[in-house]
Amino acid sequence: MLVVTNRLTKRYGGFTALDACTLAVPPGEIFGLLGPNGAGKTTLLRLLLGYLTPTSGSATVAGHDTAADSLGVRENVAYLPGEARLFRRMNGREVLDFFARLRPTCSRGEAGRVADRLGLDVSRQVARMSTGMRQKLALATVLATEVPLLILDEPTANLDPTARAEVLDLVREANARGQTVIFSSHVLSEVEESCGSVAIMRAGRLVHEQSIADIRRGHRIRARLTAGFAGVPEAFDGHVRVVAQKHDAAGAERLVLEAAESLAPLLGWLATLPLEEVEIEPIGLAAVYDRFHRSGEGSGT
Amino acid sequence: MLNRAVWRQSWGDQKLLLSALAALWAVFPWIYIWLQSQVPMGDFQLLLRLIPEDWQKLSGVPIAEVATAAGRIALAFVDPVVILGATVWGVTRGSDIVSGPLERGTMEMVLAAPVRRTAVYATHALATILGAAVLCGILLVGFWTAVAWGPWAGQVAPGRFAPAVGNTFGLMVCMAGVAGLVSAAGSHRSHAIGGMCGFYVLSLLAKLVGRMSDSLSWVGWLSVFGAYEPQRLVAGTADSWWLLARYDAVLVGLGLAAYLVGGVVFARRDLPAPL
Repeated sequence: MLVVTNRLTKRYGGFTALDACTLAVPPGEIFGLLGPNGAGKTTLLRLLLGYLTPTSGSATVAGHDTAADSLGVRENVAYLPGEARLFRRMNGREVLDFFARLRPTCSRGEAGRVADRLGLDVSRQVARMSTGMRQKLALATVLATEVPLLILDEPTANLDPTARAEVLDLVREANARGQTVIFSSHVLSEVEESCGSVAIMRAGRLVHEQSIADIRRGHRIRARLTAGFAGVPEAFDGHVRVVAQKHDAAGAERLVLEAAESLAPLLGWLATLPLEEVEIEPIGLAAVYDRFHRSGEGSGT
Repeated sequence: MLNRAVWRQSWGDQKLLLSALAALWAVFPWIYIWLQSQVPMGDFQLLLRLIPEDWQKLSGVPIAEVATAAGRIALAFVDPVVILGATVWGVTRGSDIVSGPLERGTMEMVLAAPVRRTAVYATHALATILGAAVLCGILLVGFWTAVAWGPWAGQVAPGRFAPAVGNTFGLMVCMAGVAGLVSAAGSHRSHAIGGMCGFYVLSLLAKLVGRMSDSLSWVGWLSVFGAYEPQRLVAGTADSWWLLARYDAVLVGLGLAAYLVGGVVFARRDLPAPL
């Protein structure tokens, strides 16, 4: 595993920013990190980089302990902060020069090419750049760095749709070259589109981890029942879960089921149920995310 | 231990302030000596006699010494242009060592690279100290040329003011080190600057109290300005250098010790996300 955290915890007085986070990211993965503001994503990333010292627990990146050997960690990582801020007195070209001098694995030529692809005018002074332009400039320095792990904290925030698509392409290209990517974002569609697996955080805790392939295999079944629902057969325990079961205004029972994997084994059982108005749809990342952040389900999982 | 990229960036950051203070300190000795020369020595001595005896203690040297060309030139080192210039350099550069870039968000971009925190810190500190040395060099050249070729040419040996310039360098290192320590522990540069303003005012008050009251003379040694006595260093004897060594041992020693403690604090502290 390239990144391993073991019950990693960060507390500030009585406030727990990250609570016993245990996570493993294999090499070659694009790993999505999801959660609302304050969920603990940035705290986790800053702990990985050694900016913060854990209150308890441990983490390693490429075999280096993040608390004891942060220099070793940073030799293997390129990091884009959530809101990249650069030297305001420099122009874009000077910023790229600076970072190329600062770290030997950052290619100045490649940084210039990335900046070109993102449509950035590097002759402009940073102080005169918009937030999006500064984000592109920081991305150029990060994506031009040949290291095993890229940590991107909301890399597409503040970017226009064209630049967003270009950044996602660049991330996929980096991954194709063998770089592992940890990708934090609020935009579920781009995580679903780019990542191999995701972790969902809430209130400092890692509440769910799943591969995107598994999420895509899952389906949601909504139906109206003409008779009572007897429950999910034991044979499908762990495969099908009842998400909602309630009566509508007409007194009919409304049922929402989620199938974790392929629908095929379920079809026979579904055919025996007194269903009408059946809708079947892929679950998608948004539904999984909502399970933890909108409906209140998943509490304490 | 030092980082070349951070070194260049630090010099780039201090270039403007360095240029402004260099220009000011290059011309200040000429202007000061010219202004002094406009008041004849006899008139100046009359003026000094009008000062109440208790207030004369504030000069730090016998009043008879002040009423000489060397004494009058030495007062330039306690002029706000020199003291505030030295303090502005120390506080501005020292406060920018950690909390400044942390607040601006550039620190986390720099530290994302495999660079030790101590290297970033030491490089900045060295650039600040070297900048202070450059400024003091300019101040020395300013005094040397103004004394050698100015209105009082031939009356005083130009080299007599070198120890006083050395004392100014000590003050700059002291202010930078203490400001660096405050900056290393905080996340807002404005807090570091505010703290240093308080430190400056309290130091000044402590020195004044120590000098005005015989029974409270020990209070003067609670002030860093207790070791900033350039007017005592213009005798042009070996004693001046010995006294400078004692004063600068306090000032430079305090500054470097504060820098060192700040480095330890910075290496161990959490770095919060910029607001």
